[in-house]
Amino acid sequence: MEHIFDVFNIGLLQNTLRTATPVILAAMGGLMTEQAGIMNIGMDGMILIGAFVAVAFSFACASASIGVLIAVLCGILIGLFFALFVVKLKSDEFIIGMALNTFAGGLTVFLLRSIFGVKGTFSNSGIVALPKVHLDFLDSIPVIGPLLNDNSIFVYITWILVFLAWLFLYRTPCGFWLRAAGEHPESLETAGINPDKMKLMASVLCGIFCGFAGAHLSLGYLTMFTEGMSNSRGFIAFACVIFGMANPPKVFLAALLFGFLDALGLRLQSVGVPSDLTSTVPYIATVLMLVYVVVSTDRKKKKKTKQQLVEASERA
Amino acid sequence: MHKITQSIKQNKTYLISLIISITAALIIGGILMDVTGFNPFESYGAMLRGAFGSARVFGNTLTKMITLCLTGLAMTVCAKAGLFNVGGEGQLFLGGLAATMTGVYLQGASPLIAVPLAFLSAIVAGGLYAWIPAVLKVKLKVSEVITTIMLNSVAIYVCTYLVNSSGPLATHDKGVLGGSDAVPEAFRFAQLIPKSNLSTAIFYSAVIAFLCWYIMQKTSIGLEMKVTGENERFAFFAGLPKDKLMIWSMVASGAICGLVGMFEVYGYQIRFQDSISNEFYYDGMLVAMIMNYNPVGIIIMSFFFAVIDIGASAMEFSTGVSGEISEIIFAVIIFLMAAEKGISKAITKKNLQRKVKKTMGKEVQ
Amino acid sequence: MKDTKETIVKFENISMQFPGVLANDDVSLEIKKGEIFALVGENGAGKSTLMNILYGLHTPTAGNVYVKGQKIEKFKPMGAIEKGVGMVHQHFMLVPSFTVAQNIVLSREPKKMKFLYDLKKANSQVRELSEDYGLKVDPEAVVGEISVGLQQRVEILKTLYRGADVLILDEPTAVLTPQETDELFKVIRRIVEEKDMTVIIITHKLYEVMAISDRVGVMRQGKLIGVEETKNVNERILASMMVGREVLFDKIEKTGEPGNVLIEADNLFVADNRGLMAVNGVSLKVRAGEILGVAAIEGNGQSELVEALTGMRSVKQGQIYICGQEASGRDPGEIRKMGLAHIPEDRISTGVAMPSSITDNMIIGKERRSEFSVKGIHLKRSSVARYARELFDKFDLRGAGVDTEVGSLSGGNMQKVVVAREFSLDTPVLIVAQPTRGVDVGAMEFIHKQIIEKRNHGCAILLVSADLDEVMRLSDRIITMYEGRITGEFKAQEIDKRDIGYYMTGSRTAGGGEEGA
Repeated sequence: MEHIFDVFNIGLLQNTLRTATPVILAAMGGLMTEQAGIMNIGMDGMILIGAFVAVAFSFACASASIGVLIAVLCGILIGLFFALFVVKLKSDEFIIGMALNTFAGGLTVFLLRSIFGVKGTFSNSGIVALPKVHLDFLDSIPVIGPLLNDNSIFVYITWILVFLAWLFLYRTPCGFWLRAAGEHPESLETAGINPDKMKLMASVLCGIFCGFAGAHLSLGYLTMFTEGMSNSRGFIAFACVIFGMANPPKVFLAALLFGFLDALGLRLQSVGVPSDLTSTVPYIATVLMLVYVVVSTDRKKKKKTKQQLVEASERA
Repeated sequence: MHKITQSIKQNKTYLISLIISITAALIIGGILMDVTGFNPFESYGAMLRGAFGSARVFGNTLTKMITLCLTGLAMTVCAKAGLFNVGGEGQLFLGGLAATMTGVYLQGASPLIAVPLAFLSAIVAGGLYAWIPAVLKVKLKVSEVITTIMLNSVAIYVCTYLVNSSGPLATHDKGVLGGSDAVPEAFRFAQLIPKSNLSTAIFYSAVIAFLCWYIMQKTSIGLEMKVTGENERFAFFAGLPKDKLMIWSMVASGAICGLVGMFEVYGYQIRFQDSISNEFYYDGMLVAMIMNYNPVGIIIMSFFFAVIDIGASAMEFSTGVSGEISEIIFAVIIFLMAAEKGISKAITKKNLQRKVKKTMGKEVQ
Repeated sequence: MKDTKETIVKFENISMQFPGVLANDDVSLEIKKGEIFALVGENGAGKSTLMNILYGLHTPTAGNVYVKGQKIEKFKPMGAIEKGVGMVHQHFMLVPSFTVAQNIVLSREPKKMKFLYDLKKANSQVRELSEDYGLKVDPEAVVGEISVGLQQRVEILKTLYRGADVLILDEPTAVLTPQETDELFKVIRRIVEEKDMTVIIITHKLYEVMAISDRVGVMRQGKLIGVEETKNVNERILASMMVGREVLFDKIEKTGEPGNVLIEADNLFVADNRGLMAVNGVSLKVRAGEILGVAAIEGNGQSELVEALTGMRSVKQGQIYICGQEASGRDPGEIRKMGLAHIPEDRISTGVAMPSSITDNMIIGKERRSEFSVKGIHLKRSSVARYARELFDKFDLRGAGVDTEVGSLSGGNMQKVVVAREFSLDTPVLIVAQPTRGVDVGAMEFIHKQIIEKRNHGCAILLVSADLDEVMRLSDRIITMYEGRITGEFKAQEIDKRDIGYYMTGSRTAGGGEEGA
């Protein structure tokens, strides 16, 4: 019984927020491309480059904000690069995504070695981390106070970005165009807007979000750069996008779920439940959800036909 | 001989762009070395020595080539039938673990019984794990790309759990951090070159590669697979057993991946560890894609990639250039090839328009 | 009709070349302000292509287009919209998950606070617009969930919202019920009379041309054959202009007597892709040595009927027998084994594997026979090649050779590959859909001869074609279909084309004379 309190406490929720944040950021980017009809599995590489650049410039300029800024600029460039192939040259998005991951993995390690002369991890007191936010008035509130306080500033920025992503997609004309470009590009084209431009925009937005995700990972979550530190977060984000049907609030919740299970896994380890097994839950859930969606739409269609058959036999 | 020249002629533009892409990627790699303060010629020299310099390193290069080639063929087998197996990594893990545990449990049995059973268990584990997404795709039209990516993570986590410190299959051997028990020595593949990773796995691999090539190029089933991959509706219309073809090609793909896992362990790793594969499948997949799923091309390209990969780690050791440059070179080749496909498409389209305009102009006059 | 009308749209020597197809061939045409102009022609005659050029979706390979006296320089939909051209496409250009209002205002959304989408205003604007034109819609309904007729109304409102005064309707009635069609025609007349719009309507239903248009242009194989005042022509004249190939052919001799029933359908119900019933209780029989022709206007269930008979579409109710064996609920492979071969209506999507060679395409279906593979596995490439070359010569395929990619062949040659493969299966039953669609005259004549030869050898053949002349020329018996039902059955010699037309449009049925038109 006591174990339950060992596992389920505020620390768990705090960890959930911490681990979910980079995934949420990347997933917001992923849902932009998904909504625009691009299957983007290159997010892992995008995050990795963002993380590296953020650390490098934070260290070089002794400023976390410059690190973040350059990471985002880099994200824009990668987004353009991705769009050049996928949108302009109509290359297979799958190949390009995979190649981007390989490229990012190779480039970051190569640069790490060449610039900083280290292998594996670059950690240095010269890297300026992102500030943590502490609001005094929250201290007096139980549960919420400790939960919301003392987080990296990016945790809060992320919430704002989720709202902005939703606002953009569902409350601005441009967001509607972007969604139309993914769902039915011909209708957008005949309405006089080039769907390719929307796809380009989506992939640049994805680059920006992944830049943020990377920067948070290396300057907020940790204060260092480690080889392959994206650690498949791009794929997790992709799973969240699919699970949340590319809708920002739903994807946000999906990412929190992933984060929760991740945090829970670490906790459960302390009471003897292996974290590796709890980590599989979100992936299995995503597969089951995909199956459920297909089966339920199929059932609806069959119902429709049956109804007609009954009507037809009545007429006859 | 005539056939070879003919096929070279047919794919002339493709081969030329491939050679240009590779050259350009190597030059870009060289520039990167130069910028970071290394002599590219020396470094590439070190790379070549690292891949060919001794029997031992050459053995390692060949071992790497086997892995790339088999994973590439695994991708090809299902891609021909129109399915994308992105889950090879997970199938590799499961196949490797299944084969390892079969070996471990059969300790003391005759290798003549144990080794075939290990093969079988690797095939079944990898095949079954590929069967799930295949059935979901064929029967329910659930994208196999997404499901295989998801199932990858599941398999890797589960295997990691099973063999790590407190896991049920973890070893009790002293001084070993993580991993299963070692496969009994009697079952392991014989080393062909002392101290090298190269084992008799290369012969098994040759058989598998030959079978893949034979089935895809020389049999009625291969023809049916190809047609199904090119136009599923046509296959259905023509009365081909397209569902079976698709599912079985995916299962075959998974089985090959499972065998790759087994070869890793039985060939040189001895025990199953969660580090059994460092995204080997993705590299093989990329090789297959670059070579347009051509089996012979995959074998050749695997060798090239293996040379760069193995050579790069040696180069890092002797010159200090980061071995990861190999990954950069791979990726650049892919980008260039992908760009070339897009560009050549655009050019043929423009050419066509120009041609039409010319002939139309004549008609008007 | 007023006589002195200004030209609002002018096509000047338009030609449009697609890979392998000359879709428009030197077309010049003027549309007058305030008229309803009908553009008719068979499938693939180039009507839609011409209108897509006007709407800026294609850039013509040669020629110029003028709208309201201004030459179009850059062919882009935005430019066309700005010049007041609106188009309702055959396949609706609507985003299914958006609401009616969101679709209508797409790309011209009302805004608030500079960048936010004013959804409320969009709804009220659409409501106003729909009341103004008398086109009732619910602005907040989701487009994917409303009927096809309403979706079309949304499309029309979309063009009106953009201030269009030239409205192109591409096959607007193809998906409508007769009641919806009447409603649509009322709307068209109203907007022309009250709002001074110009309407161009693309169709292949001739009675509609007569019912709605002021002038009519006929297209055939990319060329504009003629432009007439509607009051000066009738359906018969238009039909011969559209088809225009009656005199070309020799008679093909038919011999033999019909034998046993080899194709039988009993009270068949089949649903389309949307789950709506497309075939409503069809029963038919075809005997050996007989060709049964199905005459129907596109979208009246004939495609679904063929797909059900060949096993490509599931049967919702009723039975099918092929050579006496129960075939309903079987897959195409099993039905083929009963003795059926099939030429599909769309060779590109169904009939071939485009990236494969002619050889591979011809051998599919026979690859496991012992002549071509050892134990059904090891392909005997040399006998396969020899066989392919034989068929290549027999079916008079022209071009590079048996190793050519099928995707690079012309329409006629590609169809010959399909015919060669299917006919060489030597089955007692043939189901042939649109055998000569988009095929040159020479290939058409060849394919017709092959079909008759099969019949004379005792095949039971079901022929479905949109080309009425083809149906009349080849068939022994003809049935007409309308809205998924059989409306009439005739001996081929006993009926003329015009009468068939009445049955095909449902204005007559076998049961009881003429319904009100």
